Amino acid sequence: MDLRAGDSWGMLACLCTVLWQVPAVPALNRTGDPGPGPSIQKTYDLTRYLEHQLRSLAGTYLNYLGPPFNEPDFNPPRLGVETLPKATVNLEVWRSLNDKLRLTQNYEAYSHLLCYLRGLNRQAATAELRRSLAHFCTSLQGLLGSIAGVMAALGYPLPQPLPGTEPTWAPGPAHSDFLQKMDDFWLLKELQTWLWRSAKDFNRLKKKMQPPATAVTLHLEARGF
Amino acid sequence: MPAGRPGPAAQSARRPPPLLPLLLLCVLGAPRAGSGADTAVISPQDPTLLIGSSLQATCSVRGDTPGATAEGLYWTLNGRRLPPELSRMLNASTMALALANLNGSRQQSGDNLVCHARDGSILAGSCLYVGLPPEKPFNISCWSKNMKDLTCRWTPGAHGETFLHTNYSLKYKLRWYGQDNTCEEYHAVGPHSCHIPKDLALFTPYEIWVEATNRLGSARSDVLTLDILDVVTTDPPPDVHVSRVGGLEDQLSVRWVSPPALKDFLFQAKYQIRYRVEDSVDWKVVDDVSNQTSCRLAGLKPGTVYFVQVRCNPFGIYGSKKAGIWSEWSHPTAASTPRSERPGPGGGACEPRGGEPSSGPVRRELKQFLGWLKKHAYCSNLSFRLYDQWRAWMQKSHKTRNQDEGILSSGRRGAARGPAR
Repeated sequence: MDLRAGDSWGMLACLCTVLWQVPAVPALNRTGDPGPGPSIQKTYDLTRYLEHQLRSLAGTYLNYLGPPFNEPDFNPPRLGVETLPKATVNLEVWRSLNDKLRLTQNYEAYSHLLCYLRGLNRQAATAELRRSLAHFCTSLQGLLGSIAGVMAALGYPLPQPLPGTEPTWAPGPAHSDFLQKMDDFWLLKELQTWLWRSAKDFNRLKKKMQPPATAVTLHLEARGF
Repeated sequence: MPAGRPGPAAQSARRPPPLLPLLLLCVLGAPRAGSGADTAVISPQDPTLLIGSSLQATCSVRGDTPGATAEGLYWTLNGRRLPPELSRMLNASTMALALANLNGSRQQSGDNLVCHARDGSILAGSCLYVGLPPEKPFNISCWSKNMKDLTCRWTPGAHGETFLHTNYSLKYKLRWYGQDNTCEEYHAVGPHSCHIPKDLALFTPYEIWVEATNRLGSARSDVLTLDILDVVTTDPPPDVHVSRVGGLEDQLSVRWVSPPALKDFLFQAKYQIRYRVEDSVDWKVVDDVSNQTSCRLAGLKPGTVYFVQVRCNPFGIYGSKKAGIWSEWSHPTAASTPRSERPGPGGGACEPRGGEPSSGPVRRELKQFLGWLKKHAYCSNLSFRLYDQWRAWMQKSHKTRNQDEGILSSGRRGAARGPAR
């Protein structure tokens, strides 16, 4: 999948089908292999790396949007962002997520976010911004692949898109430029929140995978719901 | 899943403070601040204006929200509150704003004009695009790397500062074949450049121009007409090596390889060498290095590091007499000249290298020869060959000198006269 700076992704139909075709990594041989531990660690590391990358990308992008968007306490109304996957979740709900659901939520969230991020490649942005965005999208694609790897190692199927629920971003061409700026702001914020949350998700998964081999076997048998 | 979950104590120790408020926020119950665009609208939406013009804007509060009134509304532009004297209430639900003599937009994404409620929350926004129409781009220059492609560069008019995003489009067409083409690969060599990678025709001139467009208008450069064969350049010569010439303290030998395209496209090449001392910024240029792949630099300072670069110009392309465009300089290569020998009585303390004679009279003649060479264009084949012949002869004579002094002196004198012109 190549992301050339300057590619414009349609506002109405997001070409996200390619994302759903991430090849399923064959499940690791269960006997005598290190388990999904290393790939969970890798995924965790990736979320931290992306968080770092996002900080500088968001800084540059918000400066491009101009004040007040780049002001630290800026808090505009959230409109039209209902379609954004929300990282915020009730603590009890989050704690009680089973591994499959936890991973699925992460995978689906980043698939949507990646799609929207590609749409962010605004016409008016500078070439350098487009390059940074494209680079970030590639890294995010890597994170998706990593999550898919973990899911495959644990034997979970990758979520398939339901027909008719393909993520579409903008409300339409009548969307004003200022509203678009607000959407961009919330997209970056949500991305940031998801990366914070994912680090916790994968840290949690990592700790779960640490117990000795026997417990792992039990764990693998227990999953199935 | 109950299995493997750490105890509550460990969990609370692990939980980082910043995430906690977010996690407690329930999605369904989260209040949305203001529901801005539903409650007010700014007119005009996203207008485009010329620098120095004025703007009348209104913020109209929708009547359906209870208590919706324009009272207490205020404006900010790019995050800064506008003075109250610029706004006035038109009616109960509309607040007007009058801006005059607008400056160019602070950012290319547009100035952010926002209508706030009394409590500071955002009700509506509009992006203002204030700038200038583009001026005519000029100074288009193009070159073709090995006749395969075309790269062009231009200068935007008015130093490019229009305050608005300006789109530059490089167009080209064959002179007598009508169809306009647009270049696709921008920023090839800097911000105002474009690269056409293929499908270029030879022997017919191209017409090339640049179109600049922004929200306020467009401008078109003058048309440049050129023939691909007239603007050919190559990559710089690869594998440039600089080395010492035996023990000679004021010479360095430069060798390079001719660019591979030369064979593919059957042109000849002329070269230029430039060199400088390590700490200096002044380059000395050696011209007239025709079609050779080596050159000897003379008259250099002993015991000094020199940086050397070579560049190449194709000519004789398909029989044309015109030269092309000089390539970039090759990557700098460095070498140092040997330290100068301590002058001592009859030969000094240095070891002769490569059979160089070290006795007094021969060194004198060597110096004479070198002196002559310094004054002349060093890269001509003749002197190079001649010098080598002279050296070879000196080596031989050095061996026989020990056998027969007498014969050597007469032979030497003859050799000394030889190269002198």
